Amino acid sequence: MGHVPNPRPAGDFRTSYIGDNALFKTRFEGKAALGIVLALVIAAPFLSNYVLSQLIVISIYSIAALGLNILVGVTGQISLGHGAFFGFGAFASAWIVNSFGIPALIAIPLAGLLTTAVGMIFGVPAARIKGLYLAIATLASQFILEDFFARAEWFSGGVYGALAERPTFFGFIFDTDLSYFYLVLFWVVASIVAVTNLLRSRDGRALVAVRDHYLSAEIMGVNLTKYRILSFGISSFFAGLAGALFAHYLEFVSVEGFTILLSIQFLAMIIIGGLGSVYGTILGAIFVLLLPQVMEGAATSAAGLFPALETGKAYIKEMSVGAAIILFLIFEPEGLIHRWRVIRASWKLFPFAR
Amino acid sequence: MSVKTTALTLMAATMLAGAAQAEDKVFVGHLVDYTGPTAFVGKSYGPGVSDALKHINANGGINGTAIEFETVDYAYKVPEAIANYKRWKDKGMVAMQGWGTGDTEALISFVARDEVPVYSASYSAHLTDPTGANPSTKKPAPYNFFYGASYSDSCRALAKWAADDAKTKGIKDPIFLHTGDNHPYPNAPKKACAEYAAELGMTVANPVVVPLKPGDFKAQCLTIKESGAQYVFMGNLGGSVVSLLKSCGTVGVEANYMGNVWAGDYKTVESSEAEKIIFPSSTPFYGQDVAGMKTVEAILKGGSGEAGDKPTHHYIRGICSAYYMKEAMEWAKANGGITGANIKKGMYVKKDWVPAGLEGVCLPSNWSDKDHRGLMTVAINQGSFDNGKVMIERIAESELPRRDDWLGQ
Repeated sequence: MGHVPNPRPAGDFRTSYIGDNALFKTRFEGKAALGIVLALVIAAPFLSNYVLSQLIVISIYSIAALGLNILVGVTGQISLGHGAFFGFGAFASAWIVNSFGIPALIAIPLAGLLTTAVGMIFGVPAARIKGLYLAIATLASQFILEDFFARAEWFSGGVYGALAERPTFFGFIFDTDLSYFYLVLFWVVASIVAVTNLLRSRDGRALVAVRDHYLSAEIMGVNLTKYRILSFGISSFFAGLAGALFAHYLEFVSVEGFTILLSIQFLAMIIIGGLGSVYGTILGAIFVLLLPQVMEGAATSAAGLFPALETGKAYIKEMSVGAAIILFLIFEPEGLIHRWRVIRASWKLFPFAR
Repeated sequence: MSVKTTALTLMAATMLAGAAQAEDKVFVGHLVDYTGPTAFVGKSYGPGVSDALKHINANGGINGTAIEFETVDYAYKVPEAIANYKRWKDKGMVAMQGWGTGDTEALISFVARDEVPVYSASYSAHLTDPTGANPSTKKPAPYNFFYGASYSDSCRALAKWAADDAKTKGIKDPIFLHTGDNHPYPNAPKKACAEYAAELGMTVANPVVVPLKPGDFKAQCLTIKESGAQYVFMGNLGGSVVSLLKSCGTVGVEANYMGNVWAGDYKTVESSEAEKIIFPSSTPFYGQDVAGMKTVEAILKGGSGEAGDKPTHHYIRGICSAYYMKEAMEWAKANGGITGANIKKGMYVKKDWVPAGLEGVCLPSNWSDKDHRGLMTVAINQGSFDNGKVMIERIAESELPRRDDWLGQ
């Protein structure tokens, strides 16, 4: 957990607040970000359906995890109900499309807004309680919403679930994984830009102040109640947005998909990726979603070498996923993004870095 | 044509033919639950289907066309099932061997759009109205098939049995009660069966929610006891039924327990030490003396062994499901090729249909383009655990009428 030097080259000083708050710390960072997005756009048509579907799911989960990171990493609150908000967005979008005939492309952000409202309601306890108590209070939102999905037939179709058609745009249907990937990519980029911008605004700094020392923040004029609830609202917006994208990707929403396990998975993503870091969130989502598949492959090849392992393949996979997460938390508690920063610094300082 | 070109053409033709022969297979998706809440019976039914498909391939396939299939354990999770369905769709799946009610009902519109016949192990009556002829049908299900009596029809047969039983025993005001989780599968026959029970003059008590996962159900048993119900229908299966029977035994509920087709087999009777549990069936039990049992034994012998030496009747229904699909595919192959639409047409060709080699095992069934209720015959069995031995006897068999207002309900 040592100090990581600033990636800016020597002599490159910031002389204004605006400069200090730039979206990208170095010009290279900006170019690299643009390059990755362009590379994805150009490469997408050549990728197999499997890779595309993985990219879509990673992107969708990244958006939701990004929302949770604002709440947990930036504002220092906790939520064990993020999976339920993700589900609320999914059902809300399907409901808006099926009941009011509003096009799915509009319903997706609308579902995000509806989820914001719900998230702010469930965030109210945060005004009074903190820490573990808040965790349990948000756990309630998970169960209340789950039960609501199973019973509110007018909204969610009850236990039978709801259909969510693929969006259309003036006769063009996003019915292939490729076209849907572009739609999801648009929302990921929009979300990343939005969150990065939020963090360098007055509101973003207020959220950080609430996390770092709530008493000082209050003395400096930050309205704690407002910002805690706002944080729940923003985090739920991204959860709802991602949920709606997920619903229209799968074309079907079922109450079974949004259990507490999903909420914990989102928490795992941001803890592994790096609390409070936008890019770390994406790394965390990639890690959590791909690790089981990598382990499955590893277990299969291990079973090829030692046939005795064949029957225990499923156990090996599950256990190694758990072990990887524990090891990660011991050796890299600041998340993948910290490891990335260290690697980057060592390139910069070569040959003087370890 | 010179000799050289003729030879070349011939060579090319043989190569093409060879390639065509090598490619001659159709893909079928196979969903199973080996680890989820319905694994108790999934481990019997799933191998029934896959062993049967293996047997079909070993004996020439569909008149020479092999069935390529992939078995996926989706742990009874609907989203997982849909993701798999889409993956299989990209692989060019012509038919699917499905499993649960939740996923099969969720897939109704998908399979209708993509023209993929689904042979589910869900016997939900919602899957039996292909055209939406009944005004109460929410969604027509043109591409859904299953072998066996629907959950609603089985439950109706049980309600009929209960009403008769009450008459013989001289019970004046018999009370009928539905138990089951708030889940598509136990919910499927809930309304239909209660309506019929009321029609038969029974009082229908408020349904009791019992989770599909096993647990301690004494609170639910007390509610059942309070309701005074003599006839308790259990919409769940496996561990949940075992837990319910044990909990209610402790609480001391005096009632006749009736399960649906998945809730009754010798394994459930054995582990719950049940006394006179009533359950329906659509096939004979393994080892019974019928002509087609030889084929079942051969399939089990050549199979993966996952179902054990003495499979339950769920295994046999799995075999029937695979064989009806096989014969429909044979018709499709002779009438324009094995495509989803042709397989569907193939399901309507034969009347009182019994797959060849399974005489006495799969009961004569009739599907038509307006009515997907294949089987209306319900055998009613009674199982007891006595001195360490499971005793199952057939106590009634009823043939239900094909009522129009029951179609799809």
